[in-house]
Amino acid sequence: MLFKKSTLFIWALCFIPALIFCAEDLNAREILNKVDEVLLNAKDQQMVMKILIVDKKGNRKEREVLIYQKGDNKRLAKVVQPADQRGIGFLSLPGDIIYVYLPAYKKVRRIASHVKNNKFAGTDFTYEDMEPKRYSAQWSAQLLNADDTIYILKLTPQKENNSEYGGLVMYIDKDNFYPKKIEHFDKRGNMVKIMTNLKTEKINGYYIAREAEMLDLRTNNRTTLTLDSVKFDSGLSDDIFTERFLTK
Amino acid sequence: MRSIILLTLIIIPGFVLGQSLELGGYLQTDDRVFLKEDLDLSWQDYMVSLQAQASPSDNVNFFSEIWLRSHGFSTINTTSDLEDKGKITPIKMELREAYVDIRGLLISSLDLKIGRQRIAWGAADKFNPTDNLNPDDLEDIWNFGRHLGSNSIKLSYYPGKFTIEGVFVPVFTPAVLPSGQWQKIFTPQFSMPPGIVIDNIYDSIDLPEISLKQSPIYGLKLSKNFFGFDLSMSYVYGRDDLPIPNLTVLQPAGDSGKFDIYTRLIYPKLQIFGADLAGEIKGFGIWAEAGLFFPEQINMLIDLSAIGMGQIDSVVLEDKPYFKYVLGSDYTFRNGIYLNCQYVHGFINERGNEALKDYLMFGMEWKLFSEKLKLMPANLGVEIGDYKKLKDNYAIIYSPQITYYPFDNTEISFGARLIDGKNTTTFGKAKDNDEAFVQVKFSF
Repeated sequence: MLFKKSTLFIWALCFIPALIFCAEDLNAREILNKVDEVLLNAKDQQMVMKILIVDKKGNRKEREVLIYQKGDNKRLAKVVQPADQRGIGFLSLPGDIIYVYLPAYKKVRRIASHVKNNKFAGTDFTYEDMEPKRYSAQWSAQLLNADDTIYILKLTPQKENNSEYGGLVMYIDKDNFYPKKIEHFDKRGNMVKIMTNLKTEKINGYYIAREAEMLDLRTNNRTTLTLDSVKFDSGLSDDIFTERFLTK
Repeated sequence: MRSIILLTLIIIPGFVLGQSLELGGYLQTDDRVFLKEDLDLSWQDYMVSLQAQASPSDNVNFFSEIWLRSHGFSTINTTSDLEDKGKITPIKMELREAYVDIRGLLISSLDLKIGRQRIAWGAADKFNPTDNLNPDDLEDIWNFGRHLGSNSIKLSYYPGKFTIEGVFVPVFTPAVLPSGQWQKIFTPQFSMPPGIVIDNIYDSIDLPEISLKQSPIYGLKLSKNFFGFDLSMSYVYGRDDLPIPNLTVLQPAGDSGKFDIYTRLIYPKLQIFGADLAGEIKGFGIWAEAGLFFPEQINMLIDLSAIGMGQIDSVVLEDKPYFKYVLGSDYTFRNGIYLNCQYVHGFINERGNEALKDYLMFGMEWKLFSEKLKLMPANLGVEIGDYKKLKDNYAIIYSPQITYYPFDNTEISFGARLIDGKNTTTFGKAKDNDEAFVQVKFSF
């Protein structure tokens, strides 16, 4: 009987981690779905962002960007400051369709998705970092750890995901499912950037970070996005996400 | 008087529209020197661009841009010229644009833009065979693709996913040609009968009559996104903005035994059917743009009666269509290197199937040190006049450049333009014009 008990115990030792793993795998997906719900809950958003770029020597540069976003795949951004970039606009549409408007040339130009690896307006955020995204549609999740306050998910790109990153590690606030921190890894597995969301607040029923900081570990440059103003669900028309509006 | 009118265009909207007025612009200096023994200065242009924008309501937007330029060098010849500031320090003022853009006029999907404006058509990069509404501004030959603004009316209609643009430019305006040492690249070569010595060359230009029958330009464009590719088709009825001779007369130059040549030039009527495409394949940006040009036939009368050879009537421009096109692609690598490549068939000044040459353009940009430095080490252009006689029909332009951004809104660029080639080609004619340049730009 003792043997039987010990056998059961050993079997249990073998199977329980597997059961936990399955539960965690399922939970990971559920957690990521909840993250998407929180990030993309608003039908539309209109915000003004102040951007501060500080390089490793402490030199500072400031930017101001006006952003319109609708759903999880339409975004229009217009640079307000600095003067040499004023009026430059970016329009992201479903299917990786990106347009840029250059006021100096009076022309809307179609740009290919290779630009997603580029820095957005000279910041440490790339176009990919800035675009609205549904993580669960592009990334596979695995629960690495959890404690009383956070879930830690490891995200790996799904096949059709052309991300510049080889993986992400996302630290999620258990209270509201808003990501507190995202570590970005290159294709070789080296951590290259850390994004930290600070001062998360609930505004008009939606969670949003008042500040987001991106630290580029390769250059030690740091970019901080500060939310100057935000409006949710103001009924943004689809007409805003057009070349016509981009030139306005 | 002209200055007052132009400045009023900036100031009036401020009074009328109060707080919604935004002012901006930039200062740009551009000094160039020929890389020859004497290091002659080839170009000096110190310019302030003043831009004003006002939006009194969501649907109405005003924009104007004025260039104030200290361009060129003193042109004094006599002591009396020293009383003329215009000759001592040439200052130019230019109204680049001044328009009102009204969105949702009568119906929500109709926009009207009226005033002096730039209407840039075409998907290619700087070389646009479908960009024919505004006159070419070739004053600075290195600034390909620059155009003047045109006093015009543009209607844009957005039915569903289509965009339809209609443009009316009431009065034809000719292109600005390159000045000084660069003039020769657009000047056709000609040879005279043996023993004829030319003293002077005169010319006159006949502008089309300013009437709704003779001088307007019309344009129509239809655009849509199909399967992820942006496509458009366009039509322009107007005139070639570069003149062509239709009369040449050889005249004795007094009793010197030499001869003068008089040439009259006109601007031929032209119709252009255009199409362009832009999109991406496997992450590479791709574009194609083409214009099918239908010119009117131009005959030139060559009057050699002065040397007993009578008159010769010849066709200098056939009314046969010719086809200019551009194919291009670009890509940005993960390390920030940007590559851009274009194949161009037919340069701005070329017309008629036999005259169209091929150009291969290659550009590379590399942003370094947190985008404080931009290197352009491999900007290269190759002109091919005739593949069968390549040795005698080519030109190469190499234009490396470095731009430094020490602070926001400030950029300092320096570089060179080195040309080699044969006189049979457009750029080969300027092979002695190698130059270096320094440019500074400050935006405000």
